[in-house]
Parts: sequence; structure tokens; C-alpha cells
Amino acid sequence: MRILRRLALRLGQAIPVILVVAVLTFFLMHLLPGDPASVIAGPEAGAEAVERIRHQLGLDRSIPEQLLLWLWHLAQGDFGTSIILNQSVLQAMGERLPVTVSLTLVSFAMTIPIGIVLGVVAAKFRNTWLDSAVMFTALVGVSVPGFWIAILSVILFSVTLGWLPASGYVPMSEGVWPWLKALLQPGAMLALFQIGFLARMTRSATLDVLDQDYIRTARAKGVSEWSTIAKHAFRNTLIPVVTATGIILSLLMGGSVVIEQVFALPGVGRLIVQAILTRDYPVVQGALLILAFLFVGINLLVDIIYTWVDPRVRYG
Amino acid sequence: MTTVAIAAAGLIASGGEALAQKKGGNYVFANVSAVGTMDPHAAAAVVDLEAIHHVFEGLVEMGEDYGAKPMLASKVDISPDGRTFTFTLRKGVKFHNGKEMTTTDVMASFERYKKVSPNAPALGDVASMEAPDAYTFVIKLNKPNSLFVEVMKTPTYSFSIVPSELKDQPGRELEPIGTGPFQVGEWRKDSHLLLKRFDGYVADESAKGPDGYAGKKTVWLDTLRYNSVPEANTRIAALQSGGADFIATIPGDLAKRLQGRTDVKVMSVIPFCQATFITHAKNPPMSTNRNLRQAIAALIDADEMMSAAGQVWEANPSLMFKPSYYHSDVGQPWYDLHSVDKAKALLKAGNYNGEKVVLETNNNYAYMRDSSQVLVEQMKKAGINVELKMVDWTTNQADLSKGTGGWNMTITGLCSGPLLGPQQWRLSLAFAQNPDDPVVTEGYAKMFATTDAAERKKIWGGIEKYFLEEGYMMKIADIADLRGMNDKYVGIKPYYMQRFWDVWAK
Repeated sequence: MRILRRLALRLGQAIPVILVVAVLTFFLMHLLPGDPASVIAGPEAGAEAVERIRHQLGLDRSIPEQLLLWLWHLAQGDFGTSIILNQSVLQAMGERLPVTVSLTLVSFAMTIPIGIVLGVVAAKFRNTWLDSAVMFTALVGVSVPGFWIAILSVILFSVTLGWLPASGYVPMSEGVWPWLKALLQPGAMLALFQIGFLARMTRSATLDVLDQDYIRTARAKGVSEWSTIAKHAFRNTLIPVVTATGIILSLLMGGSVVIEQVFALPGVGRLIVQAILTRDYPVVQGALLILAFLFVGINLLVDIIYTWVDPRVRYG
Repeated sequence: MTTVAIAAAGLIASGGEALAQKKGGNYVFANVSAVGTMDPHAAAAVVDLEAIHHVFEGLVEMGEDYGAKPMLASKVDISPDGRTFTFTLRKGVKFHNGKEMTTTDVMASFERYKKVSPNAPALGDVASMEAPDAYTFVIKLNKPNSLFVEVMKTPTYSFSIVPSELKDQPGRELEPIGTGPFQVGEWRKDSHLLLKRFDGYVADESAKGPDGYAGKKTVWLDTLRYNSVPEANTRIAALQSGGADFIATIPGDLAKRLQGRTDVKVMSVIPFCQATFITHAKNPPMSTNRNLRQAIAALIDADEMMSAAGQVWEANPSLMFKPSYYHSDVGQPWYDLHSVDKAKALLKAGNYNGEKVVLETNNNYAYMRDSSQVLVEQMKKAGINVELKMVDWTTNQADLSKGTGGWNMTITGLCSGPLLGPQQWRLSLAFAQNPDDPVVTEGYAKMFATTDAAERKKIWGGIEKYFLEEGYMMKIADIADLRGMNDKYVGIKPYYMQRFWDVWAK
């Protein structure tokens, strides 16, 4: 019951956050100069053509009127209709979410084991060449611009070696291997940054635990070193690691913007970028709101995992 | 009566190629963005139009020489007074839904156009539309317009014919059913559009071969897929690795990555657009100081501006491309002068006192950004107080078309007007925010009224001279669009908007 109450409380706290996100996004988009009607009318159209389109789209109404109308529709579950794509925001998100979720999952599946193993190895071999090598690799992963490394990767793996496709997405319904093949390269590029972040985080958490008395006790009673780390140290590093994992999952979803653009993956990130560029107000507003819901959901999931990992949270 | 006859383009394949023609092949085109709408009456973006013209056709279309050619009409008869246009439809033409196209569909399409197209004012002078029988369609105008058929060839906001049952569908939401040689298969917005060969296509057998967007079209490919690949590096990689057969818009500095390969090549389409500075005719100091405008025009250095952006270009003083009938050298006295001394003299004569000039540009198109930066440096050398305002393309485009943003001059790429003729220029001339200028309104009225082509050319020359001499427009150069393709297919030819009929696998 306590867990349920806690979750209900967190959900309640999320509602004003989401409302603020909604209103802020609306105003930020409308503060931007530019006009979706000009995008639709094309670069060679004059003011008259643009005005006709503005009227058709209802963009000639006052900003408060547009905001109230949007919120009113939102309250009824209507996220609006894309100005440019001519489809509902929910449909647009529904078509693109599987791509972004697939990319996130593939990337997540690479990030977690590699990041954690690298972090634990670095901690175990603290201040040795191995530690330095792992931390240097992590530093490179965190520092290298994703856009640049992604293009280099395409030139190497797609053009020179011809192992992986340069762009595009294949749905899982067309086969698991084609799906995975399309996502391996973008997934790895997206994971690079997060692996570095997680490895540093895990190393730090493991080092804290390895200095604890109960580790010394385990070693003193003759438990093997790897068994000490796996059974006694690792579980106690999990709280900060789980926190980092939740953040990583959110960052992977949000960080897919650049990678989706480079690899021409029709996901949520690219949808939002294109919508910003074309001032497709309903898509940006609706998509960010849905992402806000997702991030709140991820945070709740992390809360639930806490209670499983650490009984003190459950009974505290 | 004048009849517009069907002209064959002379682009049919040679004997050797013809023998090799065979059905098959799934062609992949990696384009700069995704197809957003398949509504020909409401679409203006080139990416949309390229796909649209494979699916839809109009009564007339632009030919290989970019002039008007009959397509769904077998002929167009124009009355001597230039007010009545009688279109005789080709018989037996089928829509993708199997229905035969008749004047009922033509009438419905024009009615829909008037309701949903941003270009509806182009039909403002239409007094009546009649369909005396299933294959004869008559348009009567309030006043003469000898260029009306030319107006109708426009690929932008195309006057395509759609089935009459779709006439109430809203703008940009049209179900994509046309009479074109391809029909829509799968369409995933923001990702790809798959077109399939329309086996029920009724080609214009009176033509000898394809002729621009008109003529006899034959589809050999099984499918044509438009993929959205916005990143130029990835498009090039897709072509190199076999993920795409054709790619759009290669930046000049990246084209060398394809050099040295025998299996892929770069095709240059020039002229594609023209780079032009536009002056705001209502914002001082440039609106009120003719000498200031002329001084800035005298500073333009086409070579330096285009080279800065690595742009493939050609010098051309005219607002019309060289193949156009309307091309002339009326702009020569003000073209590519790159003279700081002349600019200084003009500033002195115009009593310029350091009033601020705002030059708005964008960071999305390298040639626009770099040309603006070069001009700003030249303006500073001449002693002009200039502020460079950098925005994104969407903002720049909106400010240009609406006159907002407080700019005095800005830059854009004009494509279809210089290619298609004065009738197409009309919208873009309004960019200077002076569409009611009598030189424009009276000039167009005279041009539409005369049936003498030489007289029309003379009148257009007058309008062009006015815009260039007054410094309302400052022409930089004609620029190219670089496209890449592999060697697996035959029949790809350079054209303003790419066509994939009469293309076949080796």
C-alpha cells in the first residue's frame, strides 16, 4: 500500500509539471519567428498566398485564443493535427515511437552491460594501466561529438567495409536480423556517450563500496575476490547505478535526435526537429508533451526498481 | 484559331538503348526530405512536386524546353481575342481507380483548385468554365490573357486533374489518385513514399517520346521509392554503398567524395535556381534612396560570392535563364560590377549619411549565407553602415514573403520564374513588397493582352530592366543543383525536377 501511495503521490506531482511543459512549449514555439504558412506556400509565393494559408490553418487567430483552443482540445485527449504532415499528432507519434523505442532499446542493451563491466573492471584494477585505459575510453566516448563520429562510422562500416546499411529503418515485422542490422550502427553511436557516462558512474560507486567494512570482512573470511565483488559489492552499487540507468534511458530517448537525423531513421527525434524547422506547432507541442509523460513514466519505473533493489526504500 | 500542337522532344532512346529496355527494377531515390503532401493543387515544395508529377497530370504540362505542351488534352484552341480556351481531351485515359477521365473530372478539379489552392487567384479572370461534351472543356476569361496556357503548365500548385469524387477533399489532404504513369503504393510520412508502375496507364501515343513532363511516358521500373535522407553525408554514403540509386542535392564541397569512382557519377543541373538579393521597397533608407540601392548593386562580385560557398554557378545578368525565350541582356549594365569606387560615387551622389542597412540572411543555405557575408564586407569597404541579421531559413522565408522582420535587403534562390516565364515571376516580384507598382500591374496587363510574342518579350524586358536598374533586385548568378546516381540504370537526364519514366535497369 505504501508503494502505491508513493506512486500516486509521484503521479500527482507530475501533473503540474506536465501542464507547465505544455504552456511553456506553446509559448516558446509561438515566440520563434517564422511561419508554417510560408513553409507550405513555398519559397516563391507572395504574401497573398501565405495569408490564405494562415487563414485556412487558423493561425490568424490571437495567441491566447490559440492557446485556449489547444488546451481545450488537450483536455479532451485531442493532441491536435500536424500542419505539415496532415495527420494527427497521436498518429504521427504512434508511427514514429516504435523506431525511437527500438533504437533506444538496442542502444540501452549495449550501454548497460558494457558500461557496468567497464566501470567494475576499472574499480577493481584501480590506478593500473587498465583503469587508465577504461577511463580514457570513457572520456573519449563522452567528449566526441555524436554527429562527427556517426559520419566517420558510416564511411567505415557502410561505404568502405559494406557491413551495415548507411541509413534507413526496417520494422521488426520484416525480420529480426534486418531490424537489428539497421539499428546496430546508430545504436552503437548513440550508446558511445552513455557507456562513458555509466562506466565512470559505476567505477565511482564501486570504489565507494569496496572501501566498506563488510567487504573487508568478506575478504577476511576468505571469499574469493570476484565473488566478493559480484555478491557483496555489486548489489550495493546498484542504487546509484539504477539512478544513472533511468537517466540514461531518458537521455537515449532524447539524444536520438542527432542520430536519427544522420541515419535517416524516421523516429520521434527527427519528427520534432523537422517540426521545429517548419514551425509545425501542434507536432512540437504534442510530441514534447508525450515525451514528458514518458519521462515521468521512466522515473516512476526507476522508483519501483529502487524498492526491489533496496529494501530500505520499501520499508523506510 | 491558334492550336498548341504536341511537340516531340526528340529524347527517345537510341536504337542500342531501346533494345535493352526491359521491365523491372526497384529504384531508390534518397531525397533531402520526405514527401509532405500529394495534393497537386496545394503543393509548392520541390520534394513534393517531384513525386506528384509521377502520379498526376494536367491538361497541359511543361515540356523539355519548359514551354507548355498538351498532356491530358490532345490540343488547345485559343480564340483570336485571347479570351476563350478550348481543350480537347484525349479519350480513354484512366485514373488509378480504373475510371475514365472526362470533362466532369476536369470541371471538378478546377472547382477544387479555386477552393483550396494558394494559387487560386491565377483563375481570378475566369468568367466561365463549360463542358459541352465529355471531351471538350472551355474556359472563358473576362479579359485577354495570351499567357493563360503558360500559366496552366506550372508544376508548382499544379492544375492537375483528379477524379470528380475527390473534389470536396480539403487542401493538402487529397487522396493521391491521378492519371500518371505511377500510382501510390505505400506512403509512410516522414520516412518514404513507394510508387508502383501503373499498368493501366494510357500513354500519349501521338508523341514520339517523353517531353519534359509531357509526351509519351513509358515506365519500366517496378517501383520507385523516395527515401527521406536529410543529411548530405549519409545520402552520399547511401549511393556509395548501394542503399540508393539516385541522390538529391550534393553540396559542392562533398561532391569530390564521389570522384574517382566509375560506378557512380555526379550530374549537374544548371541553371537550377538564381541567387538574387531583394530590396524591401517600403523600408528606408533603401526604399527612399535609389543611389544607395544602386551603390550596393555595384558591389556585387559574383565570382567571390559563389566561390566562397563552393557553389557551381554561371554568370547571367538576366532574371530569366538562358534557354528562356524571354532571356535578354537588359540587366548587363548593372551586373557583376564589383566596384567599390562606383559604389562610393553613388553614395555621395545620393547624400548617404550612414543610415543603417539591415541585410537578413539564413544559415541553412551556404550560398545565401556566404554571398551575404561577402557583400557585407564590401559594403563596409564602401562606407555603408550595415548590420547582418542571421536567421534560419523558415524565418527568412516568412520575412521575405510577408515583408516582416525589419530587413532592408535579403537574399533568396528563385527557381521556377526564371525557368518558366513572366507569368510564373508574378508572385516573386511581390517579394520587393511593391506588387501594386504600376510598372508591374500595367506591364502585366499589357503583356497578357498582346498575342504578339515579340511584344511580350519587349514588355517583360521593360519590367526586368526596372527591377534591376532601380536596385529592387540584384542578380548574383545562376546556380546548379548537383545530383548523384549509380550506373545500374539507363535513361536519367538532367531536368529541373527529376523524372523516372523511361528509365530502365541495365
